[in-house]
Amino acid sequence: MSKQYLQTHTLPNAHPTDIFSLAVTPSQLLSASGSSSIRIHSTKGQIIHADTPDEHPYPLVQTLEKVHPLGCHHICTSLDGRTAASAGFSGELKIWRCSEAGQWSPAGEIVPEEKKAGEHWPLALSENGQYLACTTHDGRINVYDTRAIAAEGTAAPKFTQYETKGSFGMSVDISANGSMTASGHQNGSIYIFNNSTARLAHSLAGLIKPVRSVKFSPACKYLAAAGDARIIALYDTQSGKQIANLTGHGSWIMSLDWNWSGEYLLSGGYDGKAKIWSLERRECVATQTESEKCLWSVLWLPKAASARNETFVTAGAGRTLAFYREASGT
Amino acid sequence: MDDDFEDLLGGREALVQDSSQESPTTAAAGLDFCESEEEEVLDDGHTLADTAVDYGLAMAVEVEMDQTRRLRKKTPQRGKDKRPNPRFTHSTPEIGAHAALRHFTPGSSDTTASAEPPASSALGKIEAVFEQIADDMLDGEREIGLSLDIRPRLLPKGRHPDGTTPPERKTRRLGFPGKTAEEAWRFTVVLRILELMHEALRTGVTISKRDMYYRDPALFGSQSHVDRYVDDIAYTFNVPRSALNVTAVAKGLVVGAMSICRRDGSVVHTGADREGILMPTLRDVLSVNLSAVKWIMVVEKEASFRSIAASSFWDRLSTEGVLITGKGYPDIATRAVLRYLCMPSPHNGFASPPSYALMDYDPDGLAIMSVYKYGSAALAHESADLRVPQLKWLGLRSEHMLLGGDGTHTSQGLLTLTARDRSKARKMLEREASAEDGDDSDEAESRRPLQVMLMLNIKAELQLLDAVPGCMTGLLERELHGCTD
Repeated sequence: MSKQYLQTHTLPNAHPTDIFSLAVTPSQLLSASGSSSIRIHSTKGQIIHADTPDEHPYPLVQTLEKVHPLGCHHICTSLDGRTAASAGFSGELKIWRCSEAGQWSPAGEIVPEEKKAGEHWPLALSENGQYLACTTHDGRINVYDTRAIAAEGTAAPKFTQYETKGSFGMSVDISANGSMTASGHQNGSIYIFNNSTARLAHSLAGLIKPVRSVKFSPACKYLAAAGDARIIALYDTQSGKQIANLTGHGSWIMSLDWNWSGEYLLSGGYDGKAKIWSLERRECVATQTESEKCLWSVLWLPKAASARNETFVTAGAGRTLAFYREASGT
Repeated sequence: MDDDFEDLLGGREALVQDSSQESPTTAAAGLDFCESEEEEVLDDGHTLADTAVDYGLAMAVEVEMDQTRRLRKKTPQRGKDKRPNPRFTHSTPEIGAHAALRHFTPGSSDTTASAEPPASSALGKIEAVFEQIADDMLDGEREIGLSLDIRPRLLPKGRHPDGTTPPERKTRRLGFPGKTAEEAWRFTVVLRILELMHEALRTGVTISKRDMYYRDPALFGSQSHVDRYVDDIAYTFNVPRSALNVTAVAKGLVVGAMSICRRDGSVVHTGADREGILMPTLRDVLSVNLSAVKWIMVVEKEASFRSIAASSFWDRLSTEGVLITGKGYPDIATRAVLRYLCMPSPHNGFASPPSYALMDYDPDGLAIMSVYKYGSAALAHESADLRVPQLKWLGLRSEHMLLGGDGTHTSQGLLTLTARDRSKARKMLEREASAEDGDDSDEAESRRPLQVMLMLNIKAELQLLDAVPGCMTGLLERELHGCTD
């Protein structure tokens, strides 16, 4: 039984260039692109009159103008939605905090000492936004305490640092319970670190090609990893054993996201296809083809208590934010 | 293997006496240029008659060598287990002698008619190496290997006293799997180069060292490794590099449906030779006839230029297009000619054919395109007269990365960005940002390729398209047809 998803809304030209990264809070969607600005759309808007152009479900509520002069490649938020972090192409890393009213303001910046691109590449924040993990071009994982990052902080102290074998770190994630950090690398290696002991817990085999996304399941039981090998590998985070391979993508997999319950996994491919996978059945249950343009980022929107059906959003080279909702009645 | 070289050397000793009797000039030239690596000098002071005589000798020596090889084949093989490298004990001849031998195997392209015997002997030598390896494998040897002579490095050119202190001709044996991973790699590199030379000799095409490198960049690692081993192999085989159909790269080539009228009144049709002609100097050019030209395509590398010009679809395209390469970062002459062709003027019949750039997908490819398009930083003051702002990016673009499907050849063509690539890309991004501090959307447009490249962390050479049959054709026809219609 496959599932049906319908495109409910699109925001064309949400950015003037490729949208490289998306992040969500319970009420907002943050998007980062090759342009210098970060845009924030509310996900709590209501359709009043569908025909009126300025009233739609995802109104733009804030633009952080010219914050990353060379463009921004990664953005992430903490689960509580209060903290965000963004990384720019010139190597700078910025921390943002959200006020009660939903307005974001800068809360610190790390400027890399060595001017090397990729010093900080992907980012992940812990549940309460206290810890920020980022992998580097030489395979390290730096962990910062975001409270220690000063407004113009140049010498931000590293909270801790995990060493790997030196392959470019392409993806990173912190588990929801804060106990684990995972990284995926150019050479296909995947590591899980135990945050309380600061030790390597598992070195996971299986993908030989670049790992472009690693994501812990909401209950921290599984780790999903995917990339140029075109398969999604599922690992048990306790034993480190690979428990499943999800095959079906015909192209590189650029991003992954678990839904709130951990029942479904969303993946976006270089060929513009987004797929939804059922964990129970270990197979693809829906495929959405928006265009042939690369989907840099796909993300579930947090499920509102009132909403019956879940919504996800895709973004990429098409510069469009596209929203999909599960068709009712199934 | 070893036997071959011994025989070569033995033959050489006999040869030097013969040659000094037959033709004193030959021997003299040989001594003068004994250290030279350039094959051009070998033609100095030679008449065709000389070469013809020399050929006869070379042939005779070849035959003799073959016989001795056959006779002696068994002896060293028996002794092999005890003495793995008998070469070191063998007396080495005067260095002048092997230089003289080179005279008997001139394979430079201007003597193509008579180049057949030495070329085939080079082919034979490569095949002998392959056969030896194959035999060793069939015999179940624990290790396969080949020997390379080490070129003398310290002696400066032409300063070698007349053969009184001949340097030892040293040999290095490369085994596989070998003692170290590095040795195995070296063996693989040499074998791959031999394979490429063999292919070039068999098909009768000339391959550049650069092209060799790009055929397998992941294996070779850097151009200098290829250069070194190509020269080592030529030295070991005692032939000039050109006899192996390998050339170094010269600058600027053009081929296609235009004719150039020179100031001296001569007219050159650039489509006459598929190899292309060297970029003309604008000073000598009176005008060009572009009436048949619908587009001009700039190709980053000579290798791709040649592979397009030699392909069957070029038959169709050659009547309507012009192909230009500046071989990497272009020289001024190439850029000046491109601008001359693209900018309407009385000299080109007020033609303004659209121009396209076909580059590698890496920071250098984009930088090279930007040099054609906007000029180079080093020559910023001259850029205004050299740039072609309307140049359009045909490829390789990020969307071409998956053209080849999932084959192993494709994944070999895709490489990871190095730290240098990433920092170059970042510097280029910064330059773009400072140069275009205006319109946000325009700025974003020019940055996109670099950003996407950094995001993917992948680069690709144009040779990616050669790996899959029909891939290059498909791309060009699709892209150019969109424009010519």
